[in-house]
Amino acid sequence: MNQVSVLAQNIPVESSAEAPLLEVRDFSLRRKKATVLDRITLSLNPGETLGLIGESGAGKSTLAMALIGLLRAPEVEIEGSLRFRGTELTALKEADFRRLRGNKIGLIFQDATAALNPCFTVGKQIAEPLRRHLGLSASACRARAVELMQSVGIPEPRLRLDAYPHELSGGMQQRVMIAIALACNPELLLADEPTSALDVTIQAQIMELILDRVRALNSSAIFVLHDLALGAQVCDRIAVMYAGQIVEEGPSECVLNAPLHPYTQGLKSCVVELGMPTLTPIPGQIPPLDAMPNGCRFAPRCPKAQAICGEQRPEAHTRDERQVACWFID
Amino acid sequence: MQETIFSLLDVERVYTLGATGWFHRETRQLKALDGVRLELKRGDTLALVGESGSGKSTLIRLMLGLEPASDGRVLYGQHDLAHLDAEARKRFAREVAFIYQNARGSMNPRMRIADILAEPIRLHRLCEEQAIPARVEALIARVGLPAGLLQRFPGELSGGQVRRIAIARALAAEPTVIMADESVAGLDVSVQAQVLNLLRDLCRESGITLVFITHDLGVASYLCEKIAVLYLGRIVEQGPTHDILSAPRHPYTKALLQAFPRFDAPLCASLKGEIPSPVNLPKGCRFAGRCAQVQPACLEVDPPLTLLTPERQVACLFPVVNPC
Repeated sequence: MNQVSVLAQNIPVESSAEAPLLEVRDFSLRRKKATVLDRITLSLNPGETLGLIGESGAGKSTLAMALIGLLRAPEVEIEGSLRFRGTELTALKEADFRRLRGNKIGLIFQDATAALNPCFTVGKQIAEPLRRHLGLSASACRARAVELMQSVGIPEPRLRLDAYPHELSGGMQQRVMIAIALACNPELLLADEPTSALDVTIQAQIMELILDRVRALNSSAIFVLHDLALGAQVCDRIAVMYAGQIVEEGPSECVLNAPLHPYTQGLKSCVVELGMPTLTPIPGQIPPLDAMPNGCRFAPRCPKAQAICGEQRPEAHTRDERQVACWFID
Repeated sequence: MQETIFSLLDVERVYTLGATGWFHRETRQLKALDGVRLELKRGDTLALVGESGSGKSTLIRLMLGLEPASDGRVLYGQHDLAHLDAEARKRFAREVAFIYQNARGSMNPRMRIADILAEPIRLHRLCEEQAIPARVEALIARVGLPAGLLQRFPGELSGGQVRRIAIARALAAEPTVIMADESVAGLDVSVQAQVLNLLRDLCRESGITLVFITHDLGVASYLCEKIAVLYLGRIVEQGPTHDILSAPRHPYTKALLQAFPRFDAPLCASLKGEIPSPVNLPKGCRFAGRCAQVQPACLEVDPPLTLLTPERQVACLFPVVNPC
């Protein structure tokens, strides 16, 4: 128990309330000449939750991976800036990044079965960041692992400590991954589709748990989601992505209840709500990365497209509290 | 009165689990389905809803005759599925089509789409060999895909396209019943909307009877006029979609509805815990352990599925009075 209170003091609180925790400015990522992320700009304040929403291929997961430096390879070109607590992440050495990952930035992946190592007990896997980042002793790790498992609602944590991932249900595996992500009290939590493989009932439990823990630690969180209604329920802000760009960004109740960008409007009209009479799918699909249109990337599928949309890329306009990248937002 | 296509009479499906150790060769019984009664009429669209482990897929496998019932009978028209002769079996295979959950995995990766779609036509000798290409083209057009895809392999198609091909293949033998297992799960919302519209139009235009497994109540409400909610191998509530969604009477249905993400309500983890193992079922109501309004009687009495109205059935001792 003593070690645990020492642990709490280990967390430096440097970020002031005014400065954003994470600031992404004109961030682009190119791979083999294809622009995978195109001038992404966003910021996240301490304690805020942000949802990245869009179809597959929109670049949501790529952005999340880039944020934690998992896409650093010779063939990947990066431009722009990513600042986390004032530190420029794009200039960070790999060794320094490793000190950040799993420590100040926690990660929850989509598929817990694939993300957990089948050869180690869950207790070992929860203990790993504790040992590595906080240097706790083996017995302190075990004690803290039990605490963490309790905090994520795993019944009988002492018994489950020595269980292998396959001995747990999908929901329980997801809880283990949340425990690992939160082990070092991160300031930022990245959750890539944390519940898309789970039943709605378990999804609600897991989402409530993540939000509850994030609030208790006063951390920020970025959720990659494809369910718009879930985004409305769990996120303070929503960034809608399309083909590697952010097309609309703002407070979730504005963006999702009264979307301005035609793509957000199109996405919303595809969502199946209870007792909905008709669905209107967006025609076509996201263009391939090597054949992106010159102007607005959504223009070929947009019902409101005009000549200018095919020629010039729309810059993000500020409307009330949100940013919309469209030539015709009324 | 419409003709009854399927009737399930107190169907049970028990799996025997192997020995737990070398020396004690005890076997355990896993009851995947326990006393399911269901009637399906021509033109019905029925959604089977429930969490994973509730027995939805087992139920559909029994209705397809892929597995025998351990007890009770599955009737297709007047015939017991367990005792179909070879000819009736073949007719059944033509009239009842299945769309698998894993559409890509259900196709031979070395076969071209044209051959995949032609196979059921050839098997059932539905037309002359030279008329097959035209039929295959008509099929692919019916699911809204270009004929150019016919020469491709399944691996070259996107997720949404593969699902459409799976639907086209199910339509190839001109079935009267289509059963589909989670056919839109894991798709993007826009592609999901396209596939849902396609399925809905097919059912409306050709009067196909549809049995659709889903865990998404929104999808169920969009496609199906009737819903059967399953929990641990039992149907706990059944009736017209609109009635069930506007006024759920079983606490489990109510909890499922509350957990469904929506724009106008906050996140609600309405159910605690997970679906228990069907190996050691509790004595009373099997939902009692997670039920918000459990009473002492629930732990003792296993509630049967009883009629509330002619169309509505619920298996609960104390049905919900004030929904949501």
